[in-house]
Amino acid sequence: MDDAAGTRGTAAAGGAGPVGPVGPVGPVDPAVTDVAAAAAARARPPEETYRSAGEWIRKNLFSSRLNSLLTIAFGLLILFAARGLLNFVFSEERGWDAVRTNLRLIFTHAYPEEQYVRIWVCVGTLVVLTGLSLGLFAGRGEGVQLQKISTVMAGVGAAIALGVILREPSVLIGADGAVVRENDDVVRQSFFEAMADRWAWWLAAAVLIAAGVVLRRAVASSKVSISSVPAVEFAVALLALPVLSAWIYPWGHFAFVDGTFIAEPGRTVAMSTKVPWTVMWLLVVAAMALGRLMRRGFDEQQQQRMRIPLNLLWLASPFALYWVILRDPHLEWDRVLSVDIPMGVLFGVIGAGVLWMLTRPGVGELGRIIAIVLLGVAAFNWLAAFFGWYSMLQKARLSFLLLALVALAAHNFAGESIKRRRLVVAWLVLMAIVHYFATLMNAPSTVETPTEALIGGFAVTVIVAVFTIMLSFPLGVLLALARTSRLPIFRVMATSYIEVIRGVPLITILIFFAIILNLFLPVGMEISLIASATLGYTLFSAAYLAENVRGGLQSVRRGQFEASDAVGLSTTQRTVFVVLPQALRVSIPPLVGQMIATFKETSLLAIIGVFDVLRMANSVIPAQTQFLGIKREGLLFVSVVYWIFAYTLSKQSQRLERRLGVGER
Amino acid sequence: MSISDATVAVSEELAARDDMIVCRDVDKWFGDFQALSGITATIKEQEIVVVLGPSGSGKSTWIRCINRLEAHQNGQIIVDGIELTNDLRNIEKIRSEVGMVFQQFNLFPHLTVVDNITLAPIWVRKKSRPEAEELAAALLERVGIPEQAEKFPGQLSGGQQQRVAIARALAMEPRVMLFDEPTSALDPEMIKEVLDVMEELARSGMTMMVVTHEMGFAREVADRVIFMEGGEIVEVGTPHHFFTDPTEERTKLFLSQVL
Repeated sequence: MDDAAGTRGTAAAGGAGPVGPVGPVGPVDPAVTDVAAAAAARARPPEETYRSAGEWIRKNLFSSRLNSLLTIAFGLLILFAARGLLNFVFSEERGWDAVRTNLRLIFTHAYPEEQYVRIWVCVGTLVVLTGLSLGLFAGRGEGVQLQKISTVMAGVGAAIALGVILREPSVLIGADGAVVRENDDVVRQSFFEAMADRWAWWLAAAVLIAAGVVLRRAVASSKVSISSVPAVEFAVALLALPVLSAWIYPWGHFAFVDGTFIAEPGRTVAMSTKVPWTVMWLLVVAAMALGRLMRRGFDEQQQQRMRIPLNLLWLASPFALYWVILRDPHLEWDRVLSVDIPMGVLFGVIGAGVLWMLTRPGVGELGRIIAIVLLGVAAFNWLAAFFGWYSMLQKARLSFLLLALVALAAHNFAGESIKRRRLVVAWLVLMAIVHYFATLMNAPSTVETPTEALIGGFAVTVIVAVFTIMLSFPLGVLLALARTSRLPIFRVMATSYIEVIRGVPLITILIFFAIILNLFLPVGMEISLIASATLGYTLFSAAYLAENVRGGLQSVRRGQFEASDAVGLSTTQRTVFVVLPQALRVSIPPLVGQMIATFKETSLLAIIGVFDVLRMANSVIPAQTQFLGIKREGLLFVSVVYWIFAYTLSKQSQRLERRLGVGER
Repeated sequence: MSISDATVAVSEELAARDDMIVCRDVDKWFGDFQALSGITATIKEQEIVVVLGPSGSGKSTWIRCINRLEAHQNGQIIVDGIELTNDLRNIEKIRSEVGMVFQQFNLFPHLTVVDNITLAPIWVRKKSRPEAEELAAALLERVGIPEQAEKFPGQLSGGQQQRVAIARALAMEPRVMLFDEPTSALDPEMIKEVLDVMEELARSGMTMMVVTHEMGFAREVADRVIFMEGGEIVEVGTPHHFFTDPTEERTKLFLSQVL
């Protein structure tokens, strides 16, 4: 690491050398007699001169008559839109209590109160993983400029002040608590009364603007020795503000507990909200500190190696969290001991034996023949299941199929015993994981909910989106490779699949999978509504992902194929090591676009009868007796939640693009 | 000119060596356009052959046929005793024997220099990673850029990239190296650093077939010069013969234009 940094440093200095005298020469202090220092000053680009706000506005907004006209016209448009939104959000007629009271319903639907700790364990696990990832890998950049922070603070303050002025005066509320009306028109405060009434907002705006100005001055006069703060730490520290405010500020306590409606506006939020969130915040801080500590202890290469287990944990977390923690499987130990464990061991041992034999050096054609026979038997098992010829546990079929597939690839590991042993160990681990999860999935759940689904609301949105993305990505890549394959059978199959799926509306596929899928399944097998919907989303999304990846594949230049061939890579090696990495990098923007689309399309779940977040806002909350017909507030809130997640995803993809931009041709 | 003339041009000493590349009556069409017609030539072990000719004369097509980046349609190509046919195993065997350097370098842009070099040794030659990295370090030393190992190709100059490409080809320990206009995409000041590496390689006893426009290299380093035009071999001879006393009219014309 030190070596690389050293060479990079010298290279940069060497590169700057010849440029210096040619480039614009900044003002050099005559007092600087040190030749080297003078050269260094010249080698740097001239500092950007600070322009005043007025200057900036003249140059960018009012540079010509047409430009001024456009600025004014669109500025007014924005002001009117902002005014409308403010008046909507802050109107006395809004029933925001409907959202406040039903937060739990919106996020998790009817998950039982006494089991709620499971949800917090899930959130906590993800928070810890995030903290570890951030601590280990984030924040190598420059951080957030203090100057930028000061600008944002002053800007937010100004926006608040503008909003206070824009919002129309409040409606008068009479002694009986109802809106005062005169001839059917509501009576409002006078403008000055309203402005005086909103003193708290004025104070907030003034504090923010003042703080921004002070900070900016301090940075400009270099009274503050640092010019930036680490971005991640800053964001986490900012998160402390809402968490802390839950303990101090009287946000109010609103809830449905055991069917009774609670509304206590004057107090702080309930313990069952602020304690978990505080714990979550502490967890992310602790995990991040741990990550930072580990980063200091390891060198660059070890850190890179840390990525693998951490990413595996990320990949495994959805499965483990859903089936182990959220669902809390009720295992019948008699059956587990007599059937599940013996079967897992049996497949592990027999499979290991078969693979050990197939990787013998010089096994040659015989190995492939055995693998193909295994594949035939596996396929026949599924066919038999479909027609109900003979019964067999589903996981036995699955294990058989996996064994056949691994056996097909076994010849790549033939030869040295260390490689053979690695394959066998990998097989044993795979069997352990598959059988563990198959057992968990088949066990009934101890969590009892009033509806068929375990969980609803925003949680179901996230669950369906995450599983869809995780499953459709590999499927999409395989489809893209098949479509660009030289083998006609793959090409025809992939092309027809993609074209069929793309020609059918998503909602049709969803309804089809929700209603009809169970009729097509093998005898004795049933699949839940959410699972079949996820399957539908996966198949749909994979077709689109495949087209995105295919675009990336086509952008890989012919020279790359030729170079791979020329050094003797096989077709598979060429695809895995040379073509796919480049193709996927190119297709990151459309791939993330597709992921965001998938995330938003989960709102269609509402149509096939799943209680997802949209359905909560659109039909469940407006049907409650306390909040009859209050729909717009919930919908606005849900839109904001969707937006936050989608925006985060797209921001992350931009970061990923920048990070992978290293070494771009 | 006839085949017997070409054979005469080969010196006695070279003739005694083993054949490395043998082409017999190789034909190649792109659609209706015949890119190669009746190419017949033998390249001996440790021989340096430079292929010259105007652009579009089929020199690149020929060199690309030798490791099957293009498939020839008629005739025979035999590399180190293995005939190139549609049999994939033969193609794989020949490709691991034959190193190739491209005009556009074709380094893998997403891999560091050292990963570019070690990829094939690890996955095709089944070397362990430390072993392959040691080999890569030695090769980078040999081509004169040991300090660039951890950089990405995009951070290197053209000449450095081409030297990495040579190191990548050498990492497979090939018996033959093919160069397809290795200096044509380079700025003038970088051509020499690549030619120096190629000269060093020639002195070390590598069999080389070089398509180039560098007359200086052909004169200094080549054992034999092959002149092509219109998909045919027009003239074969030692550099001395070729540059001082060419027999064919077309060769004279070409030389008068480039020298």
